[in-house]
Amino acid sequence: MLTVNGLTKAFGDRVALDHVSLEVDDGETLAVLGPSGCGKSTLLRVVAGLTLPDAGTIAWDGQDLAAVPTHLRRFGLMFQGYALFPHRNVADNVAFGLRMQDMDPPQVDRRVAEVLDWVGLTGFERRAVTSLSGGEQQRVALARTLAPSPRLIMLDEPLSSLDRNLRDRLRTEIADLLERNTTAAIYVTHDHGEAEAVGDRVALMQAGKVVQVGAFDALRDQPADEWVAEFLGGG
Amino acid sequence: MAADRPALTTRKAAWLAVVPLVFLAAFYVWPLGRMLGSTLESDAAGRILSDQRTWSTIWFTTWQAAVSTVLTVLAALPLTYVIARYRFKGRRLVQALTTVPFVLPSMVVATAFVAIGLDSGLAAILMAHVFYNVAVIVRTVGGLWSRLDPSLSEAARTLGASPARAFGQVTLPLLRPALTAATAIVFVFTFTSFGVVLVLGGLRWRTLEVEIYQRATTFLDFPAASALAVLQLVVVSLIVWWYSRRQAFMTASGLVAESENLMGVTSSRQRWLVGSALTISIGLLSAPLMVLVAKSFAGGGAGWALLFSPGPSALRPIPAIGNTVVYAVMSTLVAVAIGLPAAVIIARRRRLGSLLDLGLLLPLGTSAVTIGLGLLMTWSGTLTVWLIPIAHALVALPFVTRSAVPVLGSIRSELREAAAVLGASPGRTWREVDLPIAARAFAVGAGFAAAISIGEFGATAFLARPATATVPYLIFRYLGRPGSASFTAAMAMAVLLMLLTAGLILAVDRLRTEQVGSF
Repeated sequence: MLTVNGLTKAFGDRVALDHVSLEVDDGETLAVLGPSGCGKSTLLRVVAGLTLPDAGTIAWDGQDLAAVPTHLRRFGLMFQGYALFPHRNVADNVAFGLRMQDMDPPQVDRRVAEVLDWVGLTGFERRAVTSLSGGEQQRVALARTLAPSPRLIMLDEPLSSLDRNLRDRLRTEIADLLERNTTAAIYVTHDHGEAEAVGDRVALMQAGKVVQVGAFDALRDQPADEWVAEFLGGG
Repeated sequence: MAADRPALTTRKAAWLAVVPLVFLAAFYVWPLGRMLGSTLESDAAGRILSDQRTWSTIWFTTWQAAVSTVLTVLAALPLTYVIARYRFKGRRLVQALTTVPFVLPSMVVATAFVAIGLDSGLAAILMAHVFYNVAVIVRTVGGLWSRLDPSLSEAARTLGASPARAFGQVTLPLLRPALTAATAIVFVFTFTSFGVVLVLGGLRWRTLEVEIYQRATTFLDFPAASALAVLQLVVVSLIVWWYSRRQAFMTASGLVAESENLMGVTSSRQRWLVGSALTISIGLLSAPLMVLVAKSFAGGGAGWALLFSPGPSALRPIPAIGNTVVYAVMSTLVAVAIGLPAAVIIARRRRLGSLLDLGLLLPLGTSAVTIGLGLLMTWSGTLTVWLIPIAHALVALPFVTRSAVPVLGSIRSELREAAAVLGASPGRTWREVDLPIAARAFAVGAGFAAAISIGEFGATAFLARPATATVPYLIFRYLGRPGSASFTAAMAMAVLLMLLTAGLILAVDRLRTEQVGSF
């Protein structure tokens, strides 16, 4: 279980995270919903250990992670821009995290095939990632994140750079995949529909603060304040 | 974001910087310090400055460099225009071929102009300088020109500007960053020209480089040679300083992709223009080399026979060829070993990086003769086999870093972060992400280093002994010997050297991805 307590981070004058406290249980998907620039991405970067917080703690099953560097946290992060390695093909991108765990090559191959099957990219192993369409790249990034079985999966606006048709289809697929995985997941989005479809619970963020947490319906029925009502109603 | 967990911490960067900094200190700063000390401790500075010979040498060095630069720009313009603006068959090949003279060893160029029959005199020097540096203009100015947005000069045309005015008012000002850079480079190269002037200048024409060499080797007047080297270094530093200040203010803007910018050759006028520019330019650039090859076979190939016969002479070609190859391998290893950590720092650490970048560029701007003299005065007798490779590596280092840094710098930090999230330690991230992406660029740099080592003459001229002679050094010695046999042997060796260098450079050019680094 991930426990985030009092997380605070400022970039100069801009406060990206303002005493953010959250919990994500194993098997649960928390959707973090908010307008762009509200600090959602910073939250993921801080949890991943890519950005150091000014204050606050991050713990996994009660163990504080302050001294644990990114590569030892076993948290998966799918970047908004995918960050696929351009010098490696599809299979090598997906295998990367497995090789970091020193998994046997035959086992790596099996796992890569399995994960590529989940995302519907069987047969794409030898393709160059630079030759893929946006939707295909997105699936490779998702597969790469899932392959090493991270104990926490973080997805940063995974659908934002896709066109509408693809978005609707992939939204359902991702929701299914996260449902099937028993790991904890944080799904960052600015889209109500995605939050509703994917998140077991939704955390609403505004200007670095978590305004309200709860099931999507609960948030809509009992908004904590006017801003929440307007933000959710506007969708 | 400044607050990110830095992948390259200050402590790690400092450790990485130790290797290149110690190298620079030992083989560049210290030798220069010794030369400066030798200048100040003796009456050399006063002697030099009161000698009429010094002032006439400085005057000649300056004006021949200025004239060479102007002539180079004029000679290169048609070819630059055609390559930058038109799409035609074999364009890439023409581009690669025009680079060949620039990378040819100075002894090959000098021998070629001797072979033409221009064995001494001003015309030969100027022509050799133009021949050498046309590539700098074509590459630097052409590179920018091919990516200028054509709609800018088209807009000028619709506003009533004639083609000539549109060029003068719009295109030329936009090309200025590249033109300034290219002319500054050509001026520095010709100002510090050594091998070509040493061979072609006869007794009359001397650049500062040649004067330094003669004072040191003929008169054994090391203090005077040091004083001249220091003087030259000051002048070159001023030029480089001016150039880098200018460059800081000029950034090219409004660029488009080259591929969507090139015009097809359609009208008969265009065909004539492109055809004649290419024919004349390529013809003039290849003529000296063709004459060299042809004449190397004069006398029924006696020169080539001499090359492979173990004669009685102390300076035999076969061991020199062996030395050249071994030194090329050694200096490439040194250049890459030092250049790798240096490139990482230059790409990743702003302040330490720019300091190191400048530090590594200094030897290149210092002139090979100065480096040779400095190493001779400090390390002679201690490093034996390594002395020549170290001198070569010193010159080649910026080529290694400059080809790798743009690639290393263009790697999005997201890729490293993705690797970290997937469980790669910082060291592993470097091996799995940075290194494979930059491997080609490092290979390009290594190729340049090998090519530089094969042809290097200025520093080698000071450091070579009969047992450590390289091919360029041998060519120089053979050119100075009486008798047509040693002359054709020199030409044969020049051909050999030319083929080796051209082969290396063409291989490197194939490796080069679009826009990997700059000169």
